[in-house]
Amino acid sequence: MASRGGGGNSNSPNSVSSPDVRPSSPLPATNSSPAQSGRSGGRRRRRGSASPYPSSPSLGGFETPPPPGRRTPSGAATSRQRQNWTGRFPPTPSTPMSTDDVPPSSEAGDEDTPETDGGGVDADAAPVFVWGTNISVQDVNAAILRFLRHFRDPRDAGRVDPVMDEGKYMRAIHRILELEGGESLDVDAHDVFDHDPDLYGKMVRYPLEVLAIFDIVLMDLVARIEPLFEKHIQTRIYNLKSSVCLRNLNPSDIEKMVSIKGMIIRCSSVIPELKEAVFRCLVCGFYSEPVMVDRGRVTEPHICQKEQCKATNSMTLVHNRCRFADKQIIKLQETPDEIPEGGTPHTVSVLMHDKLVDAGKPGDRVEITGIYRAMTIRIGPTQRTVKSIFKTYIDCLHIKKTDKSRLHIEDSMGTDNPDANKTAEDVSLGDKVEKLKELSKLPDIYDRLTRSLAPNIWELDDVKRGLLCQLFGGNPLRLPSGASFRGDINILLVGDPGTSKSQLLQYMHKLSPRGIYTSGRGSSAVGLTAYVAKDPETGETVLESGALVLSDKGVCCIDEFDKMSDNARSMLHEVMEQQTVSIAKAGIIASLNARTSVLACANPTESRYNPRLSVIDNIHLAPTLLSRFDLIYLILDKADEQTDRRLAKHIVSLHFENPNIEEIEALDLPTLVAYISYARKYIQPQLSDEAAEELTRGYVEMRKRGNNPGSRKKVITATARQIESLIRLSEALARMRFSEVVEVRDVVEAFRLLEVAMQQSATDHATGTIDMDLIMTGVSASERLRRDNLVAATRNLVMEKMQLGGPSVRMIELLEELRKQSSMEIHLHDLRGALGTLMTEGAVVIHGDNVKRV
Amino acid sequence: MVGPQYDLVGNPLGAVHATFERAAEATAAESGGREPVAAFRGKDWGASEVFRSFLFEQGGLDKVPVLDASNLGLIKPNTLVRFRGMVQDMLGNEYYVGAFKDGSTWRTNKFSDFSPFSIPHPCDSHLWERHLFHCVPVPGQNSWTRESSPGPDLRTMSSCLTSEQRDKRKRDADNDAMDVSENGNVESSSPSKKPKDDDVQNSNSSPEISMNKGHISEMNGVDHHIPGSSFSCLVKVYDMPESQVKLNDVAEFIGVYTFDPELAAPTDNSDDIMFDLIEDVTAQLPPSKVPRLHCLVRRNLSAHDFLSKPPTAEPSPILLKGIRQSLLSHLTLVLGKDELAAQCLLLHLLSRLRNKVDVVTVGRLSLNFTGFNRESASIFGNQLNNLIQRLLPYSQAIPLSIEYLNAATLQPRKDNQSGRLVTGVLQLPQGTHLTFDETLLQSGSLTSKGVENTMLLKNLMESQMVEYDFEYYKLEMATDVQLLTLSEGKSNILLSDLIVPFRPSSVPAVNVSAEELESWRWYLATVRSLPQSTESETYQMIQDEMVSAMRDDRSLGCSELSRWLTMAQIMASSFGENSLSIEHWQMVKELERLRKERLH
Repeated sequence: MASRGGGGNSNSPNSVSSPDVRPSSPLPATNSSPAQSGRSGGRRRRRGSASPYPSSPSLGGFETPPPPGRRTPSGAATSRQRQNWTGRFPPTPSTPMSTDDVPPSSEAGDEDTPETDGGGVDADAAPVFVWGTNISVQDVNAAILRFLRHFRDPRDAGRVDPVMDEGKYMRAIHRILELEGGESLDVDAHDVFDHDPDLYGKMVRYPLEVLAIFDIVLMDLVARIEPLFEKHIQTRIYNLKSSVCLRNLNPSDIEKMVSIKGMIIRCSSVIPELKEAVFRCLVCGFYSEPVMVDRGRVTEPHICQKEQCKATNSMTLVHNRCRFADKQIIKLQETPDEIPEGGTPHTVSVLMHDKLVDAGKPGDRVEITGIYRAMTIRIGPTQRTVKSIFKTYIDCLHIKKTDKSRLHIEDSMGTDNPDANKTAEDVSLGDKVEKLKELSKLPDIYDRLTRSLAPNIWELDDVKRGLLCQLFGGNPLRLPSGASFRGDINILLVGDPGTSKSQLLQYMHKLSPRGIYTSGRGSSAVGLTAYVAKDPETGETVLESGALVLSDKGVCCIDEFDKMSDNARSMLHEVMEQQTVSIAKAGIIASLNARTSVLACANPTESRYNPRLSVIDNIHLAPTLLSRFDLIYLILDKADEQTDRRLAKHIVSLHFENPNIEEIEALDLPTLVAYISYARKYIQPQLSDEAAEELTRGYVEMRKRGNNPGSRKKVITATARQIESLIRLSEALARMRFSEVVEVRDVVEAFRLLEVAMQQSATDHATGTIDMDLIMTGVSASERLRRDNLVAATRNLVMEKMQLGGPSVRMIELLEELRKQSSMEIHLHDLRGALGTLMTEGAVVIHGDNVKRV
Repeated sequence: MVGPQYDLVGNPLGAVHATFERAAEATAAESGGREPVAAFRGKDWGASEVFRSFLFEQGGLDKVPVLDASNLGLIKPNTLVRFRGMVQDMLGNEYYVGAFKDGSTWRTNKFSDFSPFSIPHPCDSHLWERHLFHCVPVPGQNSWTRESSPGPDLRTMSSCLTSEQRDKRKRDADNDAMDVSENGNVESSSPSKKPKDDDVQNSNSSPEISMNKGHISEMNGVDHHIPGSSFSCLVKVYDMPESQVKLNDVAEFIGVYTFDPELAAPTDNSDDIMFDLIEDVTAQLPPSKVPRLHCLVRRNLSAHDFLSKPPTAEPSPILLKGIRQSLLSHLTLVLGKDELAAQCLLLHLLSRLRNKVDVVTVGRLSLNFTGFNRESASIFGNQLNNLIQRLLPYSQAIPLSIEYLNAATLQPRKDNQSGRLVTGVLQLPQGTHLTFDETLLQSGSLTSKGVENTMLLKNLMESQMVEYDFEYYKLEMATDVQLLTLSEGKSNILLSDLIVPFRPSSVPAVNVSAEELESWRWYLATVRSLPQSTESETYQMIQDEMVSAMRDDRSLGCSELSRWLTMAQIMASSFGENSLSIEHWQMVKELERLRKERLH
């Protein structure tokens, strides 16, 4: 009676249809020491008889003798077969296995048939080696068993396990058995290495043999636990210690286990591979036994097996009852960052079986663990000579997609889960992250980052710093009460034409992949937010996102801001403050997220910026919108010899490679992008107490500056909005240093940046002081004072000179009177303004040019 | 070790095998180890030394025939040939049995595809690897470059080719289902070679070229050099780190030409169906059309190598100055006595990319002549093109019309189904010159392809980068081409560095002698490769000059000043000086002044 545990013996008549739990692995047979089976002759042998198992990557390239041990339903002597078996595999009781309960059905096909030479296998207890090496099969067997049973993951050390004291893989095996699913056990090669480096080494160098033994051991374990388990569990090794570059595969890697990263560019269709063929006799209808497929050849039985029939050449293949296995060939190309300069990417073919088929599709980035094989090509079907060229491919054992854990340029720079946990995968990204962390510890990382941003655009250092802060972004905050504070920084660049504002915008657009670049003139309000379209297939109306929504978590660059229509600009109000876009049209009422940072660029209305007028007058933007910008930079073209000289020096240094002119290192673009995306994803700085104190102190200072005890007017130098901006800026600066805590120096730098920006744009040129009111309302405090004075004077004049209900006086006369009285310059329109105020008070009535007191 | 016993040209493999066997014995005797030849993997055992000394020291280079479309049928297999071309595609690595034991002697398969011996047991053989490159004749190669190295007369050797092989090739050519496009422009300048042999038809080996010939109007009666249309060669390179060969490099490969049509027959292996599934890219390149060259010696080619005579004299300033003058006067004549235009053209022809800092390219000077119309473009344009074709090694003239923009394949694209890089017009070697004729541009609308092509041209102009489409991502390859545009007004598509309104005053009618052309070619090649070094006082002086210039004219910006500096540097080297001086700067300023006058 063939025991299930190992029945190498398939001769018993009952076992025809029972799934053979032969411990045959899907891999070709290993060679045993030549002493045992004289026919090995040193050639690789093929187990053509693997059957209910996932099909094997089993095409050896060499001529092999027909496999022994063909399953025939004949009652041939078992001993011979067993002999063959033992020739190959470690039998046995000689293996130090702790046998508990289950009968020692060892994998190598010893059953407790009475004929057994009992421990006749002990006769073959001489150590069996893998051909050509000194790896003892028994030792490997033992090592694997130890590993599977006893390996405990050090990371799980703290966890209390109900099924206590079971190894990690024992648990996994149990799980597979319970769930009755899964045909593979994923074995982490790092674990193997930690447990037994020697075993790891053997596995990598002789994967075919070791994996075969692995499978046997696994089968044995499974049989021990649950004898009725029918499916064969395959071992899949992954996560090797070192992965090879596709380019570096060379002939010495053949027949070794390799791990390769790449991108799938092409998948073939699923190819059915015939494993067992069933024939039917045309004469009598008798179905033959399943015939194994041997190296792509099926031998059709010549004679019908049925006793009564015995017709010759009457068998035909029955497709439905044949067994097929899936196979697929994919082409793997190396990832773009591995390609050396001036080269094209290399490809390699990968063979996938069964469950691995369709695991990846073209365009995926994957990491494949497999065995590198080479095979000869025959010149012709009839000739035995072969070409001297070999074709190579990889037999895939395990495939893993690497898309998520990559710092990739195409990733969005933001993240959708700000509390991404640092999983083991990220740690294994290893050196890239390490490099970034080292960079962040440099003392001059801030300067380096500034220099790496748009290196071809000259000067504009402070602007670049502001832009850097925008890229890094602050922390969005959502209070339990529902209020939320945005984390995005908005920047406005105003300046003379000819300075490289547009270039800066283009560069920022290039840097931030989820960004949209639009020109003000070419955008409509609807295009910016969302518009309604008809779905071509279903005919329903659907909402298509516009520019602002598409650049969610990115930077939206808007050029020619001032040329935008007012309609469009009004959309921006909501986006910039609430970070959402509300739509109510065509029956769709929705509110979309638009968490973008806005980078806008405007030109003054006259050809050059008129420093005597305020920002508002120069660019005609509503002050309400302006106040939503955190930083407003004025980029002026100053005719300055110093800047000219520096420009000249810069140009000369570009042309001549002069060692004197030192170039301080800047980061290159991919590193910069990686740095930014890593920082945005993983670093969430929090305000430290000292920083918070410094903030409040600085804010109070700023406001105090306006309140000189001597002056009568109150100049507002900072508003509450500025505090928020300051917090965002400090958080961004802390993020640049990969620091989780916002420190005092970040706050100080944020103040400085704000000052620089304010100085340029909010300086009241009449008095020279910074007046935030200029931006907020467009009217500076001094101006307002002036107006108030004028209104007071006009009121006095009207009270004096005009009588209640008296005749109307012409405005010009009033003007002359006022001029005589005060020394200030008064213009007609100022007077009109003052009279307008009086009219609202109800003191006068204006008809055209005449004023009448009421 | 080179003795008269080796016939390196006629039987190079004999020399290879003999030296190998000797070397194998020698090491076996020394080390006494089992695997003496393991050391030879990836290295040479002395065979390439033999060849190198033969070719370069003993003047054997002239005895080696040049592999060309015209003599593809005439060359005997397994002989030494040379091939000059551009690396168009890299097809990866191939493993082959490098060394194996036949009985008791070790033999090698290196430098050949077909092994006459049956492959032995893997224990007795070693797998080595070699790199495959698909090379094509250089796109835009001008005919004068072929004069420089004629091979021996192959008609005398044609009798070696057996009639059977000729028939076989003819049958293949007849059965050719692919389009046989006409041969681009293979004018053999050496009279000894007959252009075509009746038995051999030139066939198209790169069927994916999609450029529509009908749309391309011929500018001056000479066919365009369409890349890949004549023929291509599969070069197998040994022993060299792959990074030494870059895409679009122009090189000369000297090696063994093999022709094994049996190897290419599709194997109907019912045995292992997998063979067919793991496809071989080289299966698309049948040996009857694409010769295989096993490279023994390789060298990169620059403009100098195309000159007929090796440079005789030292490039002294006086000599260079004289040639400069004669070239300048000729250019003036060709350009209808417009001196300013001639000066600018000279500077343009001498420009090359010196440095690249992020996206800023230093050293390029693209030129735009405005003021052309259709007639003047055809007259002057033709003359100009003729001249450029005779002076520079690679050049192309591209008519920029709406149809061209909408239809042409400019961008090289990787076809993942077949595994090869489909070439485009913009896959060009370093140092190519492109002339765009924009007078053909009329109003019309661009399709999306046209817009893409325009963006490609813009990128090329600004940053000297071409994006290759690899389906899932785009790869940028750096190039170094000179761009000249002829247009009516200022070109909007191609924004050149230097814009010069063209004011001819006479119609050109010029003849040149061959020596003059020779000397000019030498001049152009030499000046472009002159190194530039500058003293530090010059820096200071230039900076001062720039500052004062900016003060005078506030509209000067970074790009303009950079251009002036480039022009000054080129001007300096055009006189043979290798350091910049104030006079050159002044000359450039004068040119600028004249140019600005014309613009208004």
